[in-house]
Amino acid sequence: MKIHVNLRVLFSLAVVVLGGYALYASLHWPFKTALFPRVIGAPLVILAAVEMLLSAFGREKRQEGNAVDFQFTTDVDPAVAQRRTWMILGWTFGFLILILLVGFLLAVPLFVFLYLKLVGKEGWIITLSLTAVSWIFMEAVFDRLLHLPFPPGWIWSLWS
Amino acid sequence: MLDAFVQGLVVIFEWQTFLMMLLGIFLGFWVGLLPGLGGATTLALMLPFIYKMNPVEAFAFLLGMHSVTATTGDITSVLFGVPGEGSTAATILDGHAMAKKGEAGRALGAALMSSLVGALIGAFALALAIPVVRPLVLTFGAPELFMLAVVGIAFISSLSGQGGRALLRGFLAGLLGLLVSLVGQDPQGGVQRFTFGQLYLWSGLDLVPVLVGLFAIPEIMDLAVRGTSIAGEISEKNLNRGVWQGVKDTFHHFWLTVRCSLVGTFIGILPGLGGGVAQWIAYGHATQSARDSTERSGFGKGDVRGVLGPGAANNSKEGGSLIPTIAFGVPGSSSMAILLGAFFLQGIIPGPDMLDKHLVLTFSMVWTMVVANVITVAVSLVFLNQLAKLTMIRGSILIPFILLLAFIGAYTSNNHVGDLLVFLIFGLVGYVMIRCGWPRAPLVLGFVLGKIAENNFYISTIRYSGAWLHRPVVLVLLAITLVVVTYPFLQMRERKSQIDEAIA
Amino acid sequence: MRKANAVTLFFAFLLVPFLAYGAGYYEGKTLTIVVGYKPGGGYDSYARLIAKHLPKYLPGNPTIVIQSMPGANSIIGANHLYGAAKPDGLTIGTFNNGLVIAQLTRVEGVSYDLTKLSWIGSLANDAAVLTVRTDLPFKTVDDLRKAKEPVIIGATGPGSSTFDFPALLKEFAGINVKIIPGYSSSADVMLAIERKEVDGRAGSYASILPFIERGLVRPLVRTRVSVPEIEKLPVDEDLATSARGKAILAIRSTPEAIYRPYAAPPGTPPEVVKILREAFAKVTQDKELLADAKKGKLPVDYVSAEESLKLVREVLKQPPEVVQEIAKYIRFGD
Repeated sequence: MKIHVNLRVLFSLAVVVLGGYALYASLHWPFKTALFPRVIGAPLVILAAVEMLLSAFGREKRQEGNAVDFQFTTDVDPAVAQRRTWMILGWTFGFLILILLVGFLLAVPLFVFLYLKLVGKEGWIITLSLTAVSWIFMEAVFDRLLHLPFPPGWIWSLWS
Repeated sequence: MLDAFVQGLVVIFEWQTFLMMLLGIFLGFWVGLLPGLGGATTLALMLPFIYKMNPVEAFAFLLGMHSVTATTGDITSVLFGVPGEGSTAATILDGHAMAKKGEAGRALGAALMSSLVGALIGAFALALAIPVVRPLVLTFGAPELFMLAVVGIAFISSLSGQGGRALLRGFLAGLLGLLVSLVGQDPQGGVQRFTFGQLYLWSGLDLVPVLVGLFAIPEIMDLAVRGTSIAGEISEKNLNRGVWQGVKDTFHHFWLTVRCSLVGTFIGILPGLGGGVAQWIAYGHATQSARDSTERSGFGKGDVRGVLGPGAANNSKEGGSLIPTIAFGVPGSSSMAILLGAFFLQGIIPGPDMLDKHLVLTFSMVWTMVVANVITVAVSLVFLNQLAKLTMIRGSILIPFILLLAFIGAYTSNNHVGDLLVFLIFGLVGYVMIRCGWPRAPLVLGFVLGKIAENNFYISTIRYSGAWLHRPVVLVLLAITLVVVTYPFLQMRERKSQIDEAIA
Repeated sequence: MRKANAVTLFFAFLLVPFLAYGAGYYEGKTLTIVVGYKPGGGYDSYARLIAKHLPKYLPGNPTIVIQSMPGANSIIGANHLYGAAKPDGLTIGTFNNGLVIAQLTRVEGVSYDLTKLSWIGSLANDAAVLTVRTDLPFKTVDDLRKAKEPVIIGATGPGSSTFDFPALLKEFAGINVKIIPGYSSSADVMLAIERKEVDGRAGSYASILPFIERGLVRPLVRTRVSVPEIEKLPVDEDLATSARGKAILAIRSTPEAIYRPYAAPPGTPPEVVKILREAFAKVTQDKELLADAKKGKLPVDYVSAEESLKLVREVLKQPPEVVQEIAKYIRFGD
């Protein structure tokens, strides 16, 4: 029998660990606090273990994999798809880091500009005008109108 | 009674009142559309303006604004897969899937029309229920609320795919959601559960960053991978035809829309269930309308019924959620708490009087919600086809803006960096779940119902010991739970016997 | 000539603070009020009330904006005010009055020190009351003590006055109650009272007042802060049967005298703090504000900065063994 190690196995393993942690944490709690975490955690660990074993050892009937949910596109060449997946993940987390570094108000136009220019390879007119739109939008709606507390980026703390 | 009903309509058509309502609708339109603009925050910002208005004007303004947000929130959900409001996320599952098939117009038409039907039914159900509304609300104590949560959780079985394996994954997703709902301080022992020493987690995870992450990130990634526009390679002609089709769909599945509207109204009336619940139960109910399991697995991939159900429910619930505020002075959500503040400013004390002495005002509120929705939908229908064209824009131009909306939408729920982390973590979870064939809807259902179930379980047990199990409504709800759980299995068997017959 | 220059310079120096902080300090600037909660609660309502009327009492008529920084029952907001906000008088904040107890019991995550904040004062005080349904025969605390079956009190959870106050009364004043925590908000407890699921609730007097006026519940005990209408009710600490109980009850209710506290970050220039204090003292006498406050059912009763700080110090000066006792009974939470 062949053992598959794929995302399905790893994800169910992660859920087993998570459920296990919940059960472990509940050991230190009074009964009423711990009851629900245990009632939920125990079947979670068992079922996730079953799912893990099924994914690792079993083959799956095609139709059974159909969740009531959408499926990722399969039209794109797997190698290209993988590269694009990592790219967008990088950009998304990059956005977060940019926000933390330079603050929301600057990160937004910067991100829009960089994405349009580097990924979209758009012309200057589109890039600059859309960047301006995003900047005005942030400044007017979220800063001036709603007064959201945007933490200043870490970079600025170097100067003060 | 009837007199007040009619008079309530007449007063909102006085020109000053009507103007205020239009202003409210205009603001609410944008509030709903933009994920970062929350209903409660904007209501609070508007409060200073109502000091000088009379009560009818003030509520025409505030409710006009409030009731439209749920309608236009659906638009963002359908077009970009980012929930415009916390209460419009369920529309994404099928609505955005339709948009990706080039049916954005149809999905928008269906979402808006069902919203309108929902608002109308919610308002009329409310008007009819006013004489019995106090006893109705009071029948639902902690044991009944607990059982309602159980009924809701039971919908997991219909939100999973067909076959044992899919069911297993559905339950896993549901349990995961339940577990996540337990984060935060436990009211029984005062213990911080799963907070890892983070102040941010004390009050538990917020619905909005979780939903935005779970739904928006996978869609953004899919869009980036496909490298096309949202609608893919579909000609513009096709796209434009859709809106009327969507409107027609609403009437084609009229009874489903009506049932989901009633579900929404009912859940709205009961305080303590929270804004996220109605749409998901309605979605679960919509999936049950599938005639067989093949049809059911089409949900989440662009079945229009998956748009109609939540679309209807999240609007009809707004009418219902006015009731606890009006009749008891007990707000069911932060928006309603602000509205309660507006009542005080207007010198009105909510309570039984509102169903009696101030009945005209109460009905004028109901009518405001109806008229505001009619206006919004009528106006929107005109340019929905234009909106649908947004799905033809190159993905590489849209992506930074969708990401921006998602980041802002998540951040504004607590104005805390933790929101962004929760958003990204759940985004990854959502992505991996789809890759692994785990359905996301059960997770959300577990997440929105877990805390309700736990709290009301303890209240029931401490208050009544075991006796609450014999309460009549509890028994009825238990029966409903059994039906809901077994329904997909019955469906499966029926289908199997059909196949067997065909083979024989 | 030289002498004249020196004199000018001397006067100029004297004038600098006035130029910097006087006439137009807030001219064209924005004063931010950081609120530790989301919109829809009392802290937010008070902040918006103040924001509407305060500008005319500040030199230069600044714009005032409200920033919500919710989380951990306003500890996040208070930490921000203490550690991150700039002490330039352009940021002030409001937070839960119980944060002083959280500091006293060294709750994990607390990084502020309330005694170091530049206090502005408190907008209102409030008493906690324990109320029971009017259709029940309990009219005095003694009735509660003698109740054959425990009286059922609905609550949100430990750390809120809906839970802590009756729990301490049960422990130290011997009232026969059973507390049921788990309601998602105090409004939910009120509804549970309507449907007779619970017999009563505790909480701040101002928040229960509409329901007392409507005849749904009647108050039986109050805390030490006096509100005219309930002056005659027995005070919790007088009911305590032990000295220890009396002390703990007193400490729990002391912060209620500064129920809506306002402060600026530590190190805010004293001149600016003075401007703010004076403005708060004046605005809380303002007729228009009082009219709005009355309409919005937000009682206003200014407590000065000195008095506020004194109360904070009073709570914090407890010896370690008392702190340990308090931490046993009062668990600050969300």
